[in-house]
Amino acid sequence: MTHRILLGYDGSDSANDALGFATNLARAFAAELHVLAVARPPELGDDVETSALIEHSRRQYDQVLQSARGRLAHEAFKMQFAVAVGHPAEQIVRYAEANRIDHIVVGHRGHTLFERWLIGSVARQVIAYAHCAVTVVRRPPP
Amino acid sequence: MTEIWTQAALWMGLALIATLLAIWMRVATALSEIVIGTVAQLIIGAALGSALLAADASWLKFLAGAGAILLTFLAGAELDPVVFRKQWKQATLIGLVSFAAPFLGCAAIARWLLGWTPEASWLAGIAMSTTSVAVVYAVMLEFGLNTTHYGKVVLAACFITDLATVVGLGLIFAPFTVKTLIFLGAGVLAFVILPWLTPRFFKRFGNRPSELEAKYLMFCLFGLGALATWAESEAVLPAYLIGMVLAGTVGKDHALIRRLRTLTFGLLTPFYFIRAGSLVSLPALIAAPAAFLVLLAAKMVTKIAGVYPVTRALRSPRQEGMYTTLLMSTGLTFGTISALFGLSHQIVTQAQYSALVAAVVGSAVVPTLIANAFFLPRHLLSQRAAGEATHAEPAAQTDALARRNP
Repeated sequence: MTHRILLGYDGSDSANDALGFATNLARAFAAELHVLAVARPPELGDDVETSALIEHSRRQYDQVLQSARGRLAHEAFKMQFAVAVGHPAEQIVRYAEANRIDHIVVGHRGHTLFERWLIGSVARQVIAYAHCAVTVVRRPPP
Repeated sequence: MTEIWTQAALWMGLALIATLLAIWMRVATALSEIVIGTVAQLIIGAALGSALLAADASWLKFLAGAGAILLTFLAGAELDPVVFRKQWKQATLIGLVSFAAPFLGCAAIARWLLGWTPEASWLAGIAMSTTSVAVVYAVMLEFGLNTTHYGKVVLAACFITDLATVVGLGLIFAPFTVKTLIFLGAGVLAFVILPWLTPRFFKRFGNRPSELEAKYLMFCLFGLGALATWAESEAVLPAYLIGMVLAGTVGKDHALIRRLRTLTFGLLTPFYFIRAGSLVSLPALIAAPAAFLVLLAAKMVTKIAGVYPVTRALRSPRQEGMYTTLLMSTGLTFGTISALFGLSHQIVTQAQYSALVAAVVGSAVVPTLIANAFFLPRHLLSQRAAGEATHAEPAAQTDALARRNP
């Protein structure tokens, strides 16, 4: 039985597709939907700029989550919104464990070669380390 | 003026390329600016002559110097005075260990292994001793440790490490004359008066489009910077201290800090970091890479030897302790500032400067890559497998904007 669903959300097109999927899932199971955005510091950071970037990302994701809240305003199921800081895959897995999530939903988006080499795909790492079921929502072909 | 505008356009073009590269590679802009400066000097210098970049033009030196001063001030202003007051004893101990281990270790290696002069060796020790507070802060947020005793102590310790670095840079090479005493006296007076005067002055005259706050702060920074250089010290020393003493007032004014960041990152620091990169001699570095590799290895080993036991003593789980330690090995801003101070005061040669900057850049890259490759996100699994109970709150809860749907 699915009681709690976690959506990794960054406001991108693929995340919005995932939001639609997670909404349907939450409706079907009458489950609680957790929406998590992750503000990400630079992979190789430095003084001042890193804190500036974290602050900027948090503000930006606050707005992104406000928009998601607007889209879900008429839904009857319970929902929670949160912003974490760090590596997205790690934070999603961490949040899922801490909140006893049954099902994680993430979108899938392209990465630069450097990002793939450095940290790998977020979706791939969530699948590798999550303790529960994971759905990766791919964009339908145009 | 045409020549100056052309040079300015060239430098801002390089800054733009560096920023795009930083965004694409998700790395600090300072890092990318140093690399772009080095490459640009090599290519433009070889193709069109080094005079075109004009890295030693006085207007450019002013912008670069102002960038270093403001950046250092902003770094100091990130201190949380409340936490610092509570944790200062432990933080001072850890911070001084984190400074002293690489400072003494790298200085000894530069002196006896690389055969550098005593002054150059001390400078190498200072350049290698730094820690990037913001990078460690990001790690603390990731682990949700920023609200724990451990996280607060480590963060406050990072400020002590950087404080020791700027004090070392400002005083080790100072000649200790009457001028030094006047500078120190004026500094102490300013640090007593500024925390009292600044909030009152801003309340009375601030918050207007004329940006009085920025002018006031730059007046203080440049004034004490002038006094520092007159006393043959370093302008970043008072800048960092002013930042720290004003952290509880100016540092909490997020709008003002954002405006200062815009000025600093948008105009000033590109000149500083690209200039720092342009003074690196790649041919010298390639001809003798041992110094760079030895210094980089020495910094990492001495930081780990100094900091890791302390993180364990504070009951940090092994993986998190090592991750924090590795991230405490990064220190681009103050490392570059120290190296450039050495070059401009002829304490180090260009070849030694090149090795130092390369080691500083390496220390921003290598420990992070190792930490990410071996400690992220595998630590979650090993932590669970080993049954180690983390003392951290879940990060997402710590920083949550948890809201219920009405």
